[in-house]
Amino acid sequence: MTLVLLVPLLLLAAACIAVFGPGGSEHARAKMAAYPVGAAFLGALATLYLVTTGGAVSVRFYDLSSVASFAIPIGFYVDRLSAVMMTLITGVSVIIYTYSTGYMYQDRHARRYLAMICLTDFVLICMVSSANLMMLFLFWQVLSYLLYVLAHNHAHAGTLAGAFKTFTLLRVADTAFLAGIALAYHLYGTLEFQELFLRAAETPVVLSFWPGVELSGATVVTLLLFAGAMGKSAQFPIHFWLPGSLFAPTPVHALLHAGIINAGGFLINRLAPLFGLSSTTLHVAFLIGTLTAVLGASMMLAQNDIKKTLGFSTIGQMGYMIMECGLGAFALAVFHLIAHGLFKATVFLNCGNVIHKARLEPHFPHVDHQIEEPGLSRLTWLTGSMTTLFIPLLILLVTHGVLRIPLLESQGTVIFLFFIWITSSQAILTLTRLRQVASWKVSAAMLVTLLFIVFIYLFAVESFTEFLYPNPEEVASYFRTAALPNWLFDLMIVTATVLTIASWSYLYMSAHGMTVRMPAWIEGLRIRLYLPFMNRLYADELYALTGQSIMRLVHQLDKHERGWSR
Amino acid sequence: MTEGTLIPWLLAGIPLLGVLASLPFRSDPERLKWSAIVWGVICLGSVVGFAGQVAMPPEGLLPLYLLPLAAIISILGQPVYEEHGPSWMLTLLILGLGLSVVSSPSPLSLLSLTLLLILIAVLLYRHHSALWPRSWWGIGAYSLGAAFAVVSVAADPPLSSVASLVACAVLLPLVPFHDGHLTALTRLPGSLPSFIVVLLPVAGLHRLVATMPTVPDSVAWTVSLFALLGASYGALKALAQSRVRLLLAYGSLSFFSIVWWFAAASRMVTPRSALLVGTIGLATSGLMIGWQVIRTRYGDDVDPQAISGLATGMPHYAVLLSLLALAAMGLPPFGVFAGFMGLLLSSPFPSLFGLFVTLLAWLAASWYIMQMVQRLLFGVRRPELRYTDLLRTEMASLLIVVLVLLALGLAPATLFTPEGMLLGTAPTGEWPTWNR
Repeated sequence: MTLVLLVPLLLLAAACIAVFGPGGSEHARAKMAAYPVGAAFLGALATLYLVTTGGAVSVRFYDLSSVASFAIPIGFYVDRLSAVMMTLITGVSVIIYTYSTGYMYQDRHARRYLAMICLTDFVLICMVSSANLMMLFLFWQVLSYLLYVLAHNHAHAGTLAGAFKTFTLLRVADTAFLAGIALAYHLYGTLEFQELFLRAAETPVVLSFWPGVELSGATVVTLLLFAGAMGKSAQFPIHFWLPGSLFAPTPVHALLHAGIINAGGFLINRLAPLFGLSSTTLHVAFLIGTLTAVLGASMMLAQNDIKKTLGFSTIGQMGYMIMECGLGAFALAVFHLIAHGLFKATVFLNCGNVIHKARLEPHFPHVDHQIEEPGLSRLTWLTGSMTTLFIPLLILLVTHGVLRIPLLESQGTVIFLFFIWITSSQAILTLTRLRQVASWKVSAAMLVTLLFIVFIYLFAVESFTEFLYPNPEEVASYFRTAALPNWLFDLMIVTATVLTIASWSYLYMSAHGMTVRMPAWIEGLRIRLYLPFMNRLYADELYALTGQSIMRLVHQLDKHERGWSR
Repeated sequence: MTEGTLIPWLLAGIPLLGVLASLPFRSDPERLKWSAIVWGVICLGSVVGFAGQVAMPPEGLLPLYLLPLAAIISILGQPVYEEHGPSWMLTLLILGLGLSVVSSPSPLSLLSLTLLLILIAVLLYRHHSALWPRSWWGIGAYSLGAAFAVVSVAADPPLSSVASLVACAVLLPLVPFHDGHLTALTRLPGSLPSFIVVLLPVAGLHRLVATMPTVPDSVAWTVSLFALLGASYGALKALAQSRVRLLLAYGSLSFFSIVWWFAAASRMVTPRSALLVGTIGLATSGLMIGWQVIRTRYGDDVDPQAISGLATGMPHYAVLLSLLALAAMGLPPFGVFAGFMGLLLSSPFPSLFGLFVTLLAWLAASWYIMQMVQRLLFGVRRPELRYTDLLRTEMASLLIVVLVLLALGLAPATLFTPEGMLLGTAPTGEWPTWNR
């Protein structure tokens, strides 16, 4: 029990040391504060071990049976999901804090900045280990404000505008979240997670908004909560606060993209039993996630700024993660979230070096290889095609036939296998661009990549799913709830397959200098789409226009009303 | 008279005694200010000491504690100017009347209320300027409030209920009787606006406790309609303001209307309503003191658009103002959030549309308050401005507000109300009209 409390308290202590701690210099104080951050990581690891072996830990500082509870019921509930998130957050925090001490060396605001980083970590830990929805919302809100503070620079107009946009957009999503909490409480009479899930499952409620329009209580509650998750996880159409906050310091980005933005995925997983009651919400999540993934990735390809590229890559990945939740693969989403968090933190912390190097060296990145690029060899092409197209198909057949997995009956299995294929295709397509490397090396790398991805999905993800959700029936029930109509599911699989194969073929043919006969309308569409995607679908302009229109309307109303402002 | 009945007289008498004791220091503003503060502290001490012996009002004891506290911080946050002296003594006088309204039995309470409303109307008339013709509406609203308070005793039901409701609507501002609130917050001098924004709504809520259950259904329905209208109107008007005191007046009107909506929906006033009203008042009071800090440095008619970059030049002020803004816009862990959540979870809401409007008003506060604070604190540092951080008294005043708002956000509800009274307002749990 003490250990669970120790993790957030150590981070709070680190924040205090960074501000008030003893030490000869600010740098010494900053370094001193790194120890509690490191200790918090060790504490999180120990907590993970503890809950894995001994079950969930619950600490409550309020009496459930009394109405005289605290206005904000402070309590901690740490299960495997929370422990995994705590380990991820504290692990990333150690890296980011250590990096920040060097990054902010001799900066006059270093003390405030480092304290804010530690405070944000503290809030994140409290959020993921909350015992009830109210406490989770409390820290969720505080996180919105901390993000505003961390993302802005006092004297830079662009940064201020971005921070304000971040805050207001997150508040819009938070309002939906709050409505979801109020509704959940009125329908089920509790905000304690386990109790809430139990009552929601036992007492189905139908809400009638007006004659003929009825929705289940679980659907309305989860839709509202999902809207809250959309804000933090930058889902379309409220995604554009993320690129707007790109002026923030590099370590803040690492923390944002590796920790804060995962809050949406965490929320859905924390409330998985509630989301598992509503097919409608899961389908909406799938739709929003898919849209965000496609748009995020497309906009990423059209950006010419390293931070914006990474920002849109994160939006795409978050869309991917929400899409996984929408398919009922909750554990897969957490796995994705961890992998993405670690990867993106590393990339962000390194992107400054790349920019710095590019400034020092005018010929960086090197362009001299382009002249002697030979294009793809036949061996590379053959290995690529085999690994991308045939081996995954083989796996599908073997899984179906030999392991006797009810492939056609279980969309969940198909989803897992399809993700193997898509991920390996993506990785292999990237490898084919290493044209300067001898072909056999590339081919070997492709095979190893494929084996690695298959291993990860079939064994690591499977084990992780079993770790987070030990009851297989629970996992199966999520897949069942998320199941799409068969015709739609088949259509999506076929479309995605055709698109992947077509892209692969197009890339190969282009690399060989072959003429690709593309219908004129597709070519035209490609060119016409480039500009909107480069301009991020004019979301910022739309936001500004909406704000201006609202303010114009407000001023007009104010003018007509003979009130006090005249 | 028994010991229990003496206490309200005592509580009301201490500030009035303070006024008399401060009179000899009229020519020395420094000593006058400290005398007023000391009498405010004595009053707070007596409220804490005698709280156990006062008949527990249905809204709990929180309003009783908040009144002397608001008076102290309002006086403490003022600069030592000779022309502010009368406002400090008037603050004590109004505090005495306010404590009498909240703690005395009915005839005395009503008399104090009428006197209070007349006094404020007179003060507004005294500070009326031809440049502000709208202040007549405010003077009229308070006079109307006083008249209706008297009618509420003289008339028979249901007229008495409706008259009492109108008096409440003047005190705890509700559209269309909100002009008094706007006038008082923008026209009164010195420490009075930051005190009155706590006192009058609290007094209004106290009256509402007895009134709300007696009003006819059609009137309650009309009140809830006006409340929703007021919540949207206040938020919209606040969005359009460039003057800080007006923005705060409209913003608080929007939040007080939320309390009205919940009260009309549940036909009762609970300790949670008192928490929300008290904390909205206190947060607005803190922001008004924060704005007074700016006026002290840059002049009474300073344009907020002409000020920026205070965060670098006045870091203590920036931190405290930011925290107050967070509290005022209803963010956790401050009292406004706790009160709002308490009402949201414990009161029935009859319509989804009402809930939507309420949440929208709550959301809009993030826009207008944040915009105001961002404009003042951030942006470029202006070379023509002289940045002087908070004086000790100003800092103490703002710090007390922040700490009290924080404590009210985290404190258990039983601190000011017995658990038995809270049980009466326990959540409904079920939503009969929506269940199948």
